[in-house]
Amino acid sequence: MKRFLIALALAWSPAIAQDAQKLKAGAEIYERNCSPCHGARMMDPQGAADLRKFPHDQHDRFVDLVTKGKNQMPPWGGLLKPEDVEALWTYVVNADAIYGH
Amino acid sequence: MKRLATASLLLFAAAQAGAQTLDDLKNDGKNTDNILTYGMGYSQQRYSSLSQVNKTTVKRLVPVWNLSLDNNWGEQAQPIVWNGVMYVTNARATVAIDVATGKQIWKQTLDWPADTPRVVCCGVSNKGAAIYNGKVYRTTLDAHVVAYDAKTGKEIWKSKAAEWKDGYSLTVAPLIANGVLITGISGAEYGIRGFIDGWDPETGKQLWRRYTIPARGEKGNETWPQNNNAWETGGGSAWITGSYDPALDLVYWGIGNPAPWASQSRPGDNLYTSSVLALRPKTGEIAWHYQFTPNDAYDYDACWELILADLNVQGKPRKVAMQLNRNGFLYVLDRSNGQLLSAKAYEKVNWASGVDMKTGRPVETDIAKSIRDMKATEHWPSTRGAKNWEHAAFSPQTGLLYANTLHEGRMYKHLETKPYKAGERYMFIENLPLPRAAGEPVGHMEAIDPLTAEKKWRVPLTDFQSWSAMLATGGGLVFTGRETGEFIALDADTGKRLWQFQTGSGINAMPVTFTQGGRQYVTVLSGIGGLYWNIAREQLKDKVPPGGSVWTFALMPD
Repeated sequence: MKRFLIALALAWSPAIAQDAQKLKAGAEIYERNCSPCHGARMMDPQGAADLRKFPHDQHDRFVDLVTKGKNQMPPWGGLLKPEDVEALWTYVVNADAIYGH
Repeated sequence: MKRLATASLLLFAAAQAGAQTLDDLKNDGKNTDNILTYGMGYSQQRYSSLSQVNKTTVKRLVPVWNLSLDNNWGEQAQPIVWNGVMYVTNARATVAIDVATGKQIWKQTLDWPADTPRVVCCGVSNKGAAIYNGKVYRTTLDAHVVAYDAKTGKEIWKSKAAEWKDGYSLTVAPLIANGVLITGISGAEYGIRGFIDGWDPETGKQLWRRYTIPARGEKGNETWPQNNNAWETGGGSAWITGSYDPALDLVYWGIGNPAPWASQSRPGDNLYTSSVLALRPKTGEIAWHYQFTPNDAYDYDACWELILADLNVQGKPRKVAMQLNRNGFLYVLDRSNGQLLSAKAYEKVNWASGVDMKTGRPVETDIAKSIRDMKATEHWPSTRGAKNWEHAAFSPQTGLLYANTLHEGRMYKHLETKPYKAGERYMFIENLPLPRAAGEPVGHMEAIDPLTAEKKWRVPLTDFQSWSAMLATGGGLVFTGRETGEFIALDADTGKRLWQFQTGSGINAMPVTFTQGGRQYVTVLSGIGGLYWNIAREQLKDKVPPGGSVWTFALMPD
């Protein structure tokens, strides 16, 4: 959590301020449900796509993949609500700023 | 003529299909035409006395048939063979095959909800079928147990063990012991409370349920906090088939890790996680237990094979159960009472300095303390273990265990635990790779002395780990597979690779051998999947395509 606060303090802007809540929610969902395959803090993705490389202009594709699944990735639409998936998206597109990947 | 012969063989098989009995199961391995139990015998030695294929003749070993399983999720199962028919499972289907021709006799597909795999941590797969009294039994990904007519594949009964949406799944091959069908649940990564079930093989009625975590008021619950409900979501899966000693009438079933992996919320030993239970098959009553890793903070699952053998221990013959535990130690227990006879490290271990032979408990080091203090710590063996589920074999001929072991440490850290949410991951850890010196092995294929843990030979693997079971034979051979698709035969005395055949996908399954009409066959499933595929999919995806099939080999006639 400390990391996020530092990142937020460093890159403070109204847009990020608005997203802070979403970012926190996304990080928690990621840590619990996504990190086992996509790697802790998106580092070391061994068995799944490297989310650090996911194009930031493909929001709709991201939502579709998470909701419906693809290949060995199961569909998460039955568990995650649309706002959860949006929170994950916020986390994924801000990961570089947070971790300096 | 051949067609007539096949037809009459099928008729013969059909006439006999109702006949396999408890005695047949008990004697599995003696009649080499059949493979009726997981592990090729209740002792799970994965040893066959067959020697037609041996060090000299193996160069003439060739494929005689291949059957597609039309499945991209991965193949891990051990085939069952009864009267000329082979039964194979994966997560999607059960298939009966004529062993003489490789022709499919029947196929039953399973349809589970598309999102079931999100509660399956470690591979959408199935470890195999059981057979008894004309029925073939299997488990399903969405936590059901099914019985099919062995002859026709017609479903006879289907029973629900648990609700998959709460994190429960089944991949285990069932065990028939003393007339009871026994299955063990998966799901500790999702905070389940684990259990082993006994079913009536005729009707599918549940006869008993043994929770692997005792309830409040039951013996063993005092090893869980009394001021929180950690025991209710404490894990303890049972996802590998137990072995069975019919003389003692005891089933030996390995129990998995506690949940969550991060241990702050569950001080205490956390019985019966990371333990072995000796159970009465008729009732599920616990005769004894032994815990390998008390208050396991490392995912040191103890689920896999407990190999039964008669060993000479300090001049005395002992009936033992052996396990190459995930925690890096090779344990030998007296299987009549659970007494610890030996516990020696067989791989690099830094979380414990040894096992106290008086108390039977590991002696934890500063590494363990650092992990428990929630610091990122270099940890050996990693949470995946010094060996994972890929079953070892034991040859009574050489007295050695043959195993695919893992040489891997990770930078491991406990995170702050958060409240349990049904059907969601319940782990709270970070597990990152360590820098690896060039040429440092990632695992070994090796022959290990059960009592000293010394290596008779050791073949380093520098490209990919091997997650296939071993098969030892009276022909002085050890068969196993590689994730890169090679099915291989090693010299049991030296580890020298004597033969190999490239299959169409990766091998992470369990080779078997049997006879038919006096000819020795060797069978293995190919089809990359399971936990290692989860771990190395990105590395392997351009080299090894998925796609399941059954390969059967025999010696090329002169």
